[in-house]
Amino acid sequence: MSSGHEYPHESTGVETRKLGMWVFLSTEVLFFGTLITTFLLFKGRNFPGIKLTDVYDIPFTSISSFILLMSSLTMVLAHNALENEDQEKTRVWLLATAMLGAIFLAGQIYEFTEFYHKGFELSTNIFSSTFYVLTGFHGLHVFIGVVFLIALWAIGQRQQGLSLDRGMNLEFIALYWHFVDIVWIVLFTVVYLI
Amino acid sequence: MSTDHKEHPTPKKYVQIAIVLGVLTALEVTLYYLEDLVGVFTDSLLIFLAVGKYVIVVGWFMHLRFENKMVNRFFAGGMILALILFAIVMLERGMANFFYS
Repeated sequence: MSSGHEYPHESTGVETRKLGMWVFLSTEVLFFGTLITTFLLFKGRNFPGIKLTDVYDIPFTSISSFILLMSSLTMVLAHNALENEDQEKTRVWLLATAMLGAIFLAGQIYEFTEFYHKGFELSTNIFSSTFYVLTGFHGLHVFIGVVFLIALWAIGQRQQGLSLDRGMNLEFIALYWHFVDIVWIVLFTVVYLI
Repeated sequence: MSTDHKEHPTPKKYVQIAIVLGVLTALEVTLYYLEDLVGVFTDSLLIFLAVGKYVIVVGWFMHLRFENKMVNRFFAGGMILALILFAIVMLERGMANFFYS
């Protein structure tokens, strides 16, 4: 695998596609930075309607956060298994990551449904709108990640499996997945705990 | 260009890192419930723990600490720009509150 390797044939010393992936993640930091800033702009102000603190369930969200954190572990183990050319373990860890991501998503859908039933809706006030846009976009990123993971697992099921030559594909998806995880680390603290 | 090449962690090391992340998350939740005891330091401690988790995932799971310096600069650039944006908006909000209150 190419992590940390130098590429003398590239003028930058970094594989171009990989550099592109990191630049993409850098723009994603700005995207979520903007959404978090907007959310914080309205947090703590008084708006009509029910408050977020009246509806959320910290123990439930804590378990969801733990599940997403552990999906980063299974992702990095899949990456490690491919480095060791262990196809079977790579597929198992990929599937485990996709399943943990799907469980997190199911939890988020359940949470949103509960909030709606309790009256904290997208249009309740401007603060509720920023909450749903922020956490909803994160959920969309998790969904896209789960689709990528299942696609990669399906490719791995084919006769030739996942190879080190095409190993960069797994590395890109792993970077994306870990990024989704670090965004949630920030959101869990900023949205729920503070 | 750096030619240093650090070895990636072993699966055992990854599991140990995940346990640390789990413990830090448990600490965050405990702090949330002990807000009355911890007082004004609660938010600062929560931010400190979140930054710790962020650095661990970026450094070890995303392998940024093993990467080329250029990759580090690109990612740090995005974070710095996001923090500048945050600072400007909060400063503007603070000034608006000051002048209109």
